[in-house]
Amino acid sequence: MTVALRLALAASLIFALAGCNKIQSALSPQGAEGAQVATLFWIMTWVSAAILLGVMILAAIAIFGRERWRSPLRGEWIVIGGGIVFPSVLLSALLVAALLMIGAESSSRAGPASVRIAVVGEQWWWRVVYRTPDGRRVESANEIRIPAGERVAFELSAADVIHSLWVPTLAGKLDMIPGRENVLNVIANEPGVSRGQCAEYCGGAHALMSLYVVALERQEFDAWLQREAAPAPAPAADAAAGQKLFFAGGCGACHTIRGTEAAGTIGPDLTHLGGRMSLAAAVLPNDAAAIARWIRDNQHIKPDNKMPPYGMFTEAELKSLANYLAGLK
Amino acid sequence: MRRPSLRMVAIIVGATFAVLGAGAFLVAASGIYNVAASRPHFEITRVLLQFGLERSVATHSWLESSSKPALDDPDLIRLGAGHFVRGCAFCHGAPGEPRNLAAEHMQPTPPALSLAVTEWSNEELFWIVKHGLKYTGMPGWPSIERDDEVWAVVAFLRQLPNMSPAQYRELANGSAHTSDDEPIAECTRCHGGENAAPTSRLVPKLAGQSAAYLLHALEDYARDRRPSGIMQLLAVPLAAKDRQALAAYYANLKPQASQQKAADAARIERGRRIATEGIREETIPPCLACHSGRAAETFPRLSGQHAPYLAQQLRLFKEGLRAETPQGAIMTAIATRLDEAQISDVAAYFESRDPAEDARDTTPVQGAAQ
Repeated sequence: MTVALRLALAASLIFALAGCNKIQSALSPQGAEGAQVATLFWIMTWVSAAILLGVMILAAIAIFGRERWRSPLRGEWIVIGGGIVFPSVLLSALLVAALLMIGAESSSRAGPASVRIAVVGEQWWWRVVYRTPDGRRVESANEIRIPAGERVAFELSAADVIHSLWVPTLAGKLDMIPGRENVLNVIANEPGVSRGQCAEYCGGAHALMSLYVVALERQEFDAWLQREAAPAPAPAADAAAGQKLFFAGGCGACHTIRGTEAAGTIGPDLTHLGGRMSLAAAVLPNDAAAIARWIRDNQHIKPDNKMPPYGMFTEAELKSLANYLAGLK
Repeated sequence: MRRPSLRMVAIIVGATFAVLGAGAFLVAASGIYNVAASRPHFEITRVLLQFGLERSVATHSWLESSSKPALDDPDLIRLGAGHFVRGCAFCHGAPGEPRNLAAEHMQPTPPALSLAVTEWSNEELFWIVKHGLKYTGMPGWPSIERDDEVWAVVAFLRQLPNMSPAQYRELANGSAHTSDDEPIAECTRCHGGENAAPTSRLVPKLAGQSAAYLLHALEDYARDRRPSGIMQLLAVPLAAKDRQALAAYYANLKPQASQQKAADAARIERGRRIATEGIREETIPPCLACHSGRAAETFPRLSGQHAPYLAQQLRLFKEGLRAETPQGAIMTAIATRLDEAQISDVAAYFESRDPAEDARDTTPVQGAAQ
């Protein structure tokens, strides 16, 4: 196989892979701003392709063409026209098109958002804070739920270093800067799941700092938020032992489980951990086995993360503890 | 005369070395040289060896860097004394106590240290205690990472020249004579016992710790998971039932409040905030979430504990020297987030805290203030 052929194959593979990934691809938009980004991308791409094609044709003529075809290309007009006038006009037009498109939906001109959600970037996870209609503060982590078809404002900030939230299907990326609030407006067209990740290098486990954005029908969203705002359910009979281990292990120093004494704010709120799609900022699937693995081996799974590894539990204790946490729905 | 060629010189030098080497081999192979310890070295051998040893110690102690603590600290001296009794006196003797007869017959004879230590600088003594001396029988420190322990021995050695037998006995054996039971008496020498505090504030109080924690600690020392040249020496030979008996003995004693004059109030208050609330911005969780009567028994209780001991252990955690055990790995992750000032603050707070509070502790596990 020639080198060129291999390269072509590799290039087509990249596009094929991008095509597979529907939940984290700027090419399959699921929201208003995401659609604009995609449109802009395709306009740029096709215009560039057309120009490239034109230049290639002219080059081919200049090299292989008959004298009759080549002679018109000799004049200065091709330099002035093709090198100065054409790019100036075209780039200006593209700039205006882009500005119009982005400006049309910019947060300053858009109507008020129906839901505001604070998202705080921390090393290496996302603190997500909702407000209930009656003003209560509800904290969750590593998953943002939004009503579909409505304008939602993400109030972005950072607790330690600069992070950046990027959910490609919904919107472009926006930095999260300590001591500052950036607002990202998002509209998800349909109910569905999108995946995003931190797009600004933020230290050791940056590559493992992802999250899911789940768009729900308005009714479902309201019902979910009401459940999320409620304290954790009392542990089932078989989970009481696990709850005891949670306190004996000192877990409440960093984690909150509303409805219990655990009120730590260093790590993610675990009140409804069992109801989330993933663990550890979209690193692991969310089930009891994964929770147990995470508690013991978290430094192998996500090196440098701030949670100490808890190798102190026996296999049975670990199972019991994980069972309790998975039951927090 | 013709100048000898380079080639000629090389041949002559090579041949000389070959003859010398063959000669040395023949002497060794014949077994003529007597290695008996029952006879002293030839004077020339002794002088040469001594010269080489002194130069080696001088050079290597100069190359080695270790931050030297204040050697007149009484706690450091007493810690060193506690180790000297078991680790050194057998061969070197002590004030009022001759060295063991077997050690007398070593070659070279281990020096009586009251005199010998005056010939070495602090750094040289440190290097000798840490690394030992080849071909003399002097062993290196059992856990080479623990410079802090080595300095304790040096601090004690510095006091040795002027020490009376009575002073030595008091330093070495402490004041606690609570049990004639062999392994327990061995512990109480330094750690104290019923109604007797440890001899040094660098030695932890054990009274009132849970048996589970104490047993873990002894096993960790014995299995080389918690480095200490002092404790490993004692824990390794203990039988499992002795370890259990020791753990039970201290677990049944009443914890002792600190007799220490309280550190300054601002320091204690800063420590209290870290212990009860943590520091969220620095991801430091509150200490009391684990170090209280409500948490797992394998976590130690810290109230009333000596501040210098706590601070030193936090530094060891920070250096990663205690990360081998499951509990140690947890603490290592947290200790690395504490700076030196915070270490002093929490140590001062826990020392000032009444151990009775551990038992009746109902402080809810708090998070750092939002």
